[in-house]
Amino acid sequence: MEKSTLFLLILLASTLAYLRNTWRARTLAETSGQKLHSLPGFYGYYTALWCALPGLLLLLLWLLGEGSLLTTGALARLPQSLLDGAAPEQIQLLVNDIKSVAQGSFEGQIDPAIQVAADRFSELTLWSRILLTVLSMTASLSGLLFAQSRINTDFRARNQVETVVRIFLIGCALTAIFTTIGIVLSVLIESIRFFNMVPITDFLFGLKWSPQIAMRADQAGSSGAFGVIPLLTGTLLISMVALLVAVPIGLLAAIYLSEYASPNFRAIAKPLIEILAGIPTVVYGFFAALVVAPFLRNMGAEIGLEISSESALAAGLVMGIMIIPFVSSLSDDFINAVPQSLRDGAYALGATQSETIRQVVIPAALPGIVGGILLAASRAIGETMIVVMAAGLSANLTLNPLAAVTTVTTQIVTLLVGDQEFDSPKTLAAFALGLILFILTLCLNIMALRIVRKYREQYE
Amino acid sequence: MSDQNPRGHTLDIVMAGLSKRRNAEKRFRFFGLASIVVGLVFLLVLFISIIGNGYSAFTYSNVALDITFDPAVIDPEGQRNPAALAAADYDTLWKASLLKLFPQVTERQEKRALNAFMGFSADKRLKDMVAEDPTLIGTTKTVWLPVDDTVDLLFKGKLGNEEELNERNQHYQHWIKTLKDQDRIHSSFNREFFTNGDSREPEAAGIWGAVVGSAFTLLITIGLSLPIGIAAAIYLEEFAPRNRWTDLIEVNINNLAAVPSIVFGLLGLAVFINFFGLPRSSPLVGGLVLTLMTLPVIIIAGRSALKSVPPSVREAALGIGASPVQMVFDHVLPLALPGILTGAIIGTARALGESAPLLMIGMVAFIVDIPKTFTSAATVLPVQIYLWADSPERAFNERTSAAIMVLLAFLILMNGFAVYLRRRYERRW
Amino acid sequence: MTTLENSTREKPFHREHRSTVGTFTSDNPRIVCRSVDVYYGEKHAVQNINIDVGRHQVIALIGPSGCGKSTFLRCLNRMNDTIPDCRVTGDISMDGIAINGPDVDVVPLRAQVGMVFQKPNPFPKSIFENVAYGPRIHGLATNPSDLEGIVENSLRRAGLWEEVKDRLAQPGTGLSGGQQQRLCIARTIAVNPEVILMDEPCSALDPIATAKIEQLIDELRTLYTIVIVTHSMQQAARVSQRTAFFHLGHLIEVGETAQVFTNPQHQLTEEYITGRFG
Repeated sequence: MEKSTLFLLILLASTLAYLRNTWRARTLAETSGQKLHSLPGFYGYYTALWCALPGLLLLLLWLLGEGSLLTTGALARLPQSLLDGAAPEQIQLLVNDIKSVAQGSFEGQIDPAIQVAADRFSELTLWSRILLTVLSMTASLSGLLFAQSRINTDFRARNQVETVVRIFLIGCALTAIFTTIGIVLSVLIESIRFFNMVPITDFLFGLKWSPQIAMRADQAGSSGAFGVIPLLTGTLLISMVALLVAVPIGLLAAIYLSEYASPNFRAIAKPLIEILAGIPTVVYGFFAALVVAPFLRNMGAEIGLEISSESALAAGLVMGIMIIPFVSSLSDDFINAVPQSLRDGAYALGATQSETIRQVVIPAALPGIVGGILLAASRAIGETMIVVMAAGLSANLTLNPLAAVTTVTTQIVTLLVGDQEFDSPKTLAAFALGLILFILTLCLNIMALRIVRKYREQYE
Repeated sequence: MSDQNPRGHTLDIVMAGLSKRRNAEKRFRFFGLASIVVGLVFLLVLFISIIGNGYSAFTYSNVALDITFDPAVIDPEGQRNPAALAAADYDTLWKASLLKLFPQVTERQEKRALNAFMGFSADKRLKDMVAEDPTLIGTTKTVWLPVDDTVDLLFKGKLGNEEELNERNQHYQHWIKTLKDQDRIHSSFNREFFTNGDSREPEAAGIWGAVVGSAFTLLITIGLSLPIGIAAAIYLEEFAPRNRWTDLIEVNINNLAAVPSIVFGLLGLAVFINFFGLPRSSPLVGGLVLTLMTLPVIIIAGRSALKSVPPSVREAALGIGASPVQMVFDHVLPLALPGILTGAIIGTARALGESAPLLMIGMVAFIVDIPKTFTSAATVLPVQIYLWADSPERAFNERTSAAIMVLLAFLILMNGFAVYLRRRYERRW
Repeated sequence: MTTLENSTREKPFHREHRSTVGTFTSDNPRIVCRSVDVYYGEKHAVQNINIDVGRHQVIALIGPSGCGKSTFLRCLNRMNDTIPDCRVTGDISMDGIAINGPDVDVVPLRAQVGMVFQKPNPFPKSIFENVAYGPRIHGLATNPSDLEGIVENSLRRAGLWEEVKDRLAQPGTGLSGGQQQRLCIARTIAVNPEVILMDEPCSALDPIATAKIEQLIDELRTLYTIVIVTHSMQQAARVSQRTAFFHLGHLIEVGETAQVFTNPQHQLTEEYITGRFG
């Protein structure tokens, strides 16, 4: 049976188990005259779980392990000469050939050795399928029978079901941890492989970035072309421009909205500003490349300034617009969290509204606002699409915002989009850049979250 | 102190500085308002430039030609053999018809321009007509056929500056004028933009493939992130003991919400594709990556929704003998659900607009076919926008903007629904 | 405001108390209030108040919570302006100048009428900056040493100088509750006001800190006119020369403190001070 059919079948069986045992528990209570420990439905759930879980577990096991076992089995039928000294990619190609032959979708001349392996593959697939069907059916059925045998009026079905529910809940909460572990492991492992080819010091302190040079087949990545410094300065330059746009505008907008605006104005302007945060970054990227960059270049030409059409200014400006609502909504929260009593204190001394805001409210909200700005900075550093579409590819080591610079994220995309060879330093470099990016944003985030949390506690 | 600052004197000093302070007040207020105006102007410019650039892609120009279905060209053997009919060169038909309309075109350059006047799918349109009704052969009929994309842009007035008006385009403009005078050219709704997959030819490129890809990807994302996110929120808010572990989970979730999306792409590439061997470019992997990205958003929204359910509800449920699990699922969760769903919709909308992590897992390939399953190669709407934005052809420019308009329409719909949900079910305790 | 919730409750007594009992006028008054009404939206929170505030004396406003005494107090330096939906009508004048009109600038008014709040609210700045803030914004000091003089003087008058003179640069929020409240008083008198409004200044403090503040109020009386809201009748009796009793937004009775407490004219006043309700 196909796995999807099997899956549906198990679900169907457990639904039936639920219905039947709910009814059974009810009649059991009626006939015996005793009170059930739990509501009848829980007996149903209990048996349904016992019916579904063993089968589904087996199915999952198969999904994860079947592929590699089948290919190992098939490859064992290939003549040793084909496998000796073959690189992993070549073996992958062989496996692909075997699979397409087995599925009958192979076009062209079929190598007899491959044909043998493909036959073996089909055979194994068939056996595996039969085995899975039998095993999972047996497991589900015996689970069901076991659960049914335990049902009596004293049986604490609810507690059992709730234990399973709790375990499920805990498992879901743990996904967050597993995601983080997954991120750390996946970037770390590939990065370590990269640092085996390119010394870590060259990577961290190198002033030159040109990964294309290392692409030539016989050349190792030790040519010193993997220096991350120009990328970091480019990233920081663009983020700086973005923050210079977003922080004053966002902060002032938040102040106006929370302190000055009439409720009606606020009800309209606040959601409109927040639309800016909901627009996909790819749209901003297109906007930057289509409208802002040419506009800036023409403006520069008017006043005799040479502005690159991929300038850091254009990308940063648009990125700044994107994070305005981010800064303004966080600042808004923090400004509103400043107790009214502080404002009253200043007003009672005869301070004007702007004096109160500038000298009392903002200093009081400052920790929170700084935390918000750090979060915004982390977002700017990690932003990808705008810079991919509007910033350059050439890694210039410059602090001139009118020149073209490239960023960490742009380079990750450039290195990984298109054909990948998984062992070339070029591909692995992307993971090393990812590691840098992750560490950088992690530090900013943790710092920011800690500041924000402390600030919230202060006024709670 | 009265010697230092006599009373009346204090008031005098205050009054003296007052106008300056009032002006500072006005300036500050003005800056605040100006910031909001700047933000809104950017928004306006963005929308105007996208709409102004893209609205024209929803129509396409067609020309009415008197096509003679010449048997000598279509069916030289006279067998009406479908295979032979399909193999014939239908371009010759419209070329002949155009030449009849513009008999004065004789010079080579000019002729070559005329032969590129009609679009890439004119040939297919004629072929389909004949395949459907072979009796057409030998007759002459007026047929509306799509023009070349450059001609389309010229007709819509999208090409205007001097460098774009090269010699060939000037010819085109001249012919377009003639056709217009004869009422033979008009723009009609561009259905293919909504029904086709991607294509190298701008006139045949459509968004349907990307829309279907987005739908598959989002189905996976919603299907996984909603139950897992709600379950995690319930555990953390209702059952978790307050200790180092739950603190760690909490810090983790808050941090994940701020991790750059591209890092999730790297995770997807390393874990789902290289480790588990799931198919590249598939909505399945895309959905998994976006699930991991959306989860923190849903968990955070879910927790605050659960937090806003007052403790009295919990106490009431526990007080009548419900178990903690029953209390949560029967009483707390239903009350918190609108809030959780609002957060989930906003998270999903964000996932719909996300493209960076999908570039990492290969959903950026050029794919013509409409995806059929969760594992077939696909792309999504934002990535399609990215791909078109990169294409050099001028005609892709307006299609990019049009695709952005479609994407924004979806996002506005989703967010509008979230706002509706919040307004409709918002409860104040 | 707590005013809202209580006035909707059923009135404990139903008696005619529309007009104020006792002498609400005073010779040579600093502040004169006539027919003052305050509304929160539709809610009529304070109704038709007539009262004079004399010079160099402490007047205490007492009454059960939600009776409008704080709301009325905030009319005297226009602090009600900061509450949306709040509307004040009637005539209030200080030294003969109307202060309730829409064209009155609240900045100089508040410089003349300072206010101390229920909960100590020092700014998140140093002790020195807290006191120096008022003189700074109003430009009262011409040079730094002048400013230091004002700060020291104000802290001395608030009886805080000896306690904080060695740590003026430390944050004001680090002081104890009573010290914070005296810091707020120092902050207020640094602007050299004529009237100080105090809104239950001791309600968040312990008895020892309260005693210090009460002593301070008594000392400050020689220089300033003080209006104090309190829900403690003992405090009113200890610090004030005149007492006004509010109930459900009405001013029931005004008089010399000794007279109000020993020989109240209105039945509600008597019931309140004898503890029958409140």
